[in-house]
Amino acid sequence: MDSYLDKLPAFVDTIKSIKETIITNIVLIGQIPAPTFKEKRRTSIFMERLADFLVDECTTDGYRNPIGIVKGTSGTKPPIFVVAHLDTIWGKDIDHYYTIKENSITGAGITENSIGVGVLVSLPEIFRKLNLRFESDIVLAGVIQSLGRGNLRGIRHLLKTWSTPIRGAVCIESYELGRLNYYADGMTRCEVDCNISTTNAWEHKFKPNAILILNEMINQILKLRLPQRPRSRVIIGKISGGFKHGTIAYDAKLGFEIQSNSDKMVKSIFNDIKDIVEGISHEYEVELKLKTLSNINAARIKFNHPLVKSTVDVMKKLDLTPISEPSESELSIFLSRKIPAVTLGITRGEKHQHIGATAEIEPMFKGIAQIIGVIMAIDSGVCDEE
Amino acid sequence: MTAGCVMKSSWLEKNTFHHSEFNDLNRLVEEKQRKNLKISLCLPTLNEEKTIAKEILIVKSELMTRYPLLDEIVVIDSESTDKTREIARSYGADVYKAPEILPDLEPFTGKGENLWKALYVTKGDIIVYIDADIKNIHHRFVYALLGPLILFDHIKYVKAFYDRPIAIGKSKIRPTGGGRVTELVVRPLFSLFFPELTQILQPLSGEYAGFREIFEAIPFPIGYGVETSMILDIYEKWGLDVIAQVDLDRRIHRNQDTRALGKMAFVILMTFINRKIKLGLIDIKEDLSNEMIQYNLIKNEYKPDIFQTEGHERPPIIEIPAYREKFK
Repeated sequence: MDSYLDKLPAFVDTIKSIKETIITNIVLIGQIPAPTFKEKRRTSIFMERLADFLVDECTTDGYRNPIGIVKGTSGTKPPIFVVAHLDTIWGKDIDHYYTIKENSITGAGITENSIGVGVLVSLPEIFRKLNLRFESDIVLAGVIQSLGRGNLRGIRHLLKTWSTPIRGAVCIESYELGRLNYYADGMTRCEVDCNISTTNAWEHKFKPNAILILNEMINQILKLRLPQRPRSRVIIGKISGGFKHGTIAYDAKLGFEIQSNSDKMVKSIFNDIKDIVEGISHEYEVELKLKTLSNINAARIKFNHPLVKSTVDVMKKLDLTPISEPSESELSIFLSRKIPAVTLGITRGEKHQHIGATAEIEPMFKGIAQIIGVIMAIDSGVCDEE
Repeated sequence: MTAGCVMKSSWLEKNTFHHSEFNDLNRLVEEKQRKNLKISLCLPTLNEEKTIAKEILIVKSELMTRYPLLDEIVVIDSESTDKTREIARSYGADVYKAPEILPDLEPFTGKGENLWKALYVTKGDIIVYIDADIKNIHHRFVYALLGPLILFDHIKYVKAFYDRPIAIGKSKIRPTGGGRVTELVVRPLFSLFFPELTQILQPLSGEYAGFREIFEAIPFPIGYGVETSMILDIYEKWGLDVIAQVDLDRRIHRNQDTRALGKMAFVILMTFINRKIKLGLIDIKEDLSNEMIQYNLIKNEYKPDIFQTEGHERPPIIEIPAYREKFK
């Protein structure tokens, strides 16, 4: 294993030597808008580019996740998956055209997840440039319908229908270099809609205000006693509502996530919040609808799992300091299926999740080298031991 | 249907292509090598730091590194005050300041000047000119212009056309628009004087390619008129059949306000009329004014904003001794 670790610093320069091709892939794919559920055009370009780089097989699965396969030498070893989500948080009416400067790329979605997808498509060319052959097939998957209401449908379907065992996986995120995710919290993402009827025959004496109703709901959520163990929290992430300054708000919407490293605790908190919703709805005589948008089960591999240890070694060899936090992404679907996996970030940047997001170019080459290092680690058998 | 219409549609059918007809890059490279051609890409710039890197990078990756179709990428800059030159250089283009090329000649400023001077510093048998403000640059912008030149021996000059949505505001795109000067100025003029040329769907597009033997033999106006005069001169000297046009689909670029387009229209009209006079096709009794006057309302007072153009024009570069010396 040490033999490939020693090669990693030199890989950085070789990868940099084809930076035009890597950035071209990032730009040509990233400039195609792909809001969740509308990834078709980006999928086509993804396939076109993969075919252009002569991957051995290029196809889509039954759910239209685009996939390229770089054939391995063994023929018997299970495949290694490398995945990046194709969908973005930005709609089609947003200008997706990127600006490139000497050391940066700026534009909507560049860190969510254009760099990840562009690098994924560039891997066949990077393997060629580095003269790398693997024992396992390398499955390069751009998965659709990951974000928000997508609820990771693409990756769920891909893994559910994949017929053979999977050796290990690397999930690629554009942002941020240094992240090492190997555990996922249990999570339930919800939305509450509050509507005050304006046509109801029975009229309130004092018309309730939808924003104040949600305010009451937030106050009651904040009063919940959440345990430190299992680690649990409720994140109030989105709120919208109302019409104009001088008019009572007839509708409002609240988005929140329940996160915990215990699925049982997520359920328990969800039930508490459901009770709050029903109580407020009854007492204030308003219509409150609680909707669950997505669910993820808690799953993890341990820090001393050989894949995590090897990934830490790879990162340290490249002078990267690993930072670990729970991740609610494709990783959790791999882990919940007992497939060892990690999520890695490629570069640094600023204004992440902003229309003017900016990603640095130079750190990217180290970020890519670390992904190659982890693929090599999996190919050398670090996921085969358990 | 008149005889003229029959002739027109025949040119339009034969010499109009879609970029997808040329996406077999291996074939283009093979044919280029078989014909022993050298190809240069020239990007004329003035403060294009937002788009220049992307253009160089994508074209270099796809048409130099992956498919050796281009031999060089050259940026000719009109003394930009932003970082255009530094950025272009950092992505591997050969960068020149226009006034430093053929320094013994009186320097002028304008796109036409840059295109003309590019002929002196580039090495290609074919030169591709691409504007540097294209937001949705794709390598098809280059290979599709080269396709007809490489594959068909009778084609000597290729012009782009496209659907042109315009970027509005900071982050919104509207689906149609663009080409106002073409439709309001150039097409009416062509219809009046050269009906055959109306078949060229976007005569003002900034993307075209041609053989050196064509470009070196025609004069280049310094400013906006260069595209119009180029078409008129090529048509006059070699006829319509050496010209082809290629549909490049969408091109997204900076929008220009009506005042700026007014100035552009003025220069194009001036170039057009001067060409007609030179060809002996019209006779104007008085000298034309070289001033375009637009009015601004400032503090309840109308004040003229005068745009002056000298209408300078470079002669065919083949007539310049230094050029003949270099390319003999």
